[in-house]
Amino acid sequence: MGRLIFDAAALVAIVFAGLMVVGRNPVKSVLALVVSFFALAACYVMLLSPFVAAIQVIVYAGAILVLFLFVLMLLNVGPERPEKTGRPIQTGLGAVTILVFAGLLFGMLRGSAARVPAIPPTDPAALGDPAGLARLLFADYLLHFEAVSVLLLAALVGAFVLAKREDAP
Amino acid sequence: MTLTDWLILILRVCLPAMLLPACVIPLTWIERRGAAFIQDRPGPNRVGPFGLLQPLADVLKMFFKEAVTPDSADRFLYLLAPGIAIFAALSTFAVVPYGATLEMGGRTIPLVGADVSIGILYVFAITSLSVYAIVLAGWSSNSKFSLIGGIRSSAQIISYELAMTTAAAGVILAASSFRLSDIITAQQGTYHLLPFLPRWNVFPQLIGFIVFLVAAFAETNRLPFDLPEAEAELVAGYHTEYSAMRFGAFQMAEYVNIIVVSAMMTTLYFGGWSLPGLSPRGLGGVLLSVVVFAAKTFAFICVFVWVRWTLPRFRYDQLMRLGWKTLLPLALLNLLWIAALEMWKAAR
Repeated sequence: MGRLIFDAAALVAIVFAGLMVVGRNPVKSVLALVVSFFALAACYVMLLSPFVAAIQVIVYAGAILVLFLFVLMLLNVGPERPEKTGRPIQTGLGAVTILVFAGLLFGMLRGSAARVPAIPPTDPAALGDPAGLARLLFADYLLHFEAVSVLLLAALVGAFVLAKREDAP
Repeated sequence: MTLTDWLILILRVCLPAMLLPACVIPLTWIERRGAAFIQDRPGPNRVGPFGLLQPLADVLKMFFKEAVTPDSADRFLYLLAPGIAIFAALSTFAVVPYGATLEMGGRTIPLVGADVSIGILYVFAITSLSVYAIVLAGWSSNSKFSLIGGIRSSAQIISYELAMTTAAAGVILAASSFRLSDIITAQQGTYHLLPFLPRWNVFPQLIGFIVFLVAAFAETNRLPFDLPEAEAELVAGYHTEYSAMRFGAFQMAEYVNIIVVSAMMTTLYFGGWSLPGLSPRGLGGVLLSVVVFAAKTFAFICVFVWVRWTLPRFRYDQLMRLGWKTLLPLALLNLLWIAALEMWKAAR
């Protein structure tokens, strides 16, 4: 039963991610991504990580994609028009890239089952436990966590400088 | 599981979900009569005694009116938006404990839909999705008024969600749990030095509570923060192009949201169903705890009505300034203070 729900959620996530790519209307693409992220959160719940699932919905589906929609509406972006020339070279190169990538992925997945160590049988409740996650984040991987936060701060300052440039004396 | 267990489970989960929309009907009466009382006029008083049947008449009217869809609207999203609004409003209540744990006939029945370990995060996750209803309604209607309402609303909700979550982080810290039943348990009893004062979060976290309260008004799009539907300038904002029960769906979602946010304030800051001196033992005690929860929630609903008809609407830049420059720093201050308090308690 749990496996069935997981597979269904994973399928929904992949299908809507595909719809996001091929969609002509940017607003509908964002909405397809919302559904995809929501399905991904369902996958996390089925993997006994409700905390990660909640963060996934709050941060990605609830905040970042709302900002995307906000920008699209402010700029009033209309549907994308199909190209007249068809771009044969790009289409050909794209097809080759997809084939190569699919081959790589298939090769990796085929041999992965033997190589990935089985998850040690811990208490399932402790697996998605916020306390355990906090210990990993703020004790074991503190340096990495701080490095990422500095990176984000740099991006924030950069955006601020770019936005303020015209007012500079 | 036996049939009785299944029945209890279904009842426990479905009862609040059924009761919430039913509560909306008297709530509209309270709102309109409350408005009339504050503005010194009679209000609806013709249908039934004291106009009590007026909300039923309104609902009937909405069901039988023609539902018009604008020609240039994006049909699919236009019809989807009210559905999202109702879904988000109703599913939030699933994790809020509405009474003490009932022990009867060898069974332990917690009076909550699902007591999940990330309860409070679940509430914030679903609330953050409710903005899609407003944004999509505004965009898909293909009308300028609707679009401006939708854009205003997304900016407002994102801004105030930040302050609200940061204020609630203080509560999570004090209970050191995301589970709403743990948060209630942490608030039971009274202080040692002041035996008349319950250990509710509102006393140590008064600043956090005020921030949460103000942000709650903004999140539910109520006056003084109802800019998304400011009728003086935007006709009716994001639901300008909606009629009949589709409009009714937005209206219902707004009132359900008021109930849910009042229940959240009760749970996070006022001890939920608990009351000092009340022992939730046996059927009577548990029923009493449900009554306590309902009474506290109702008190907040009255505050919502009272504030709506007392304060004028903010200007948009004032709203943004209040959110980012006042509420967010105050919420952070509250978080710091609670962190210091908890560390002091742990060191002692």
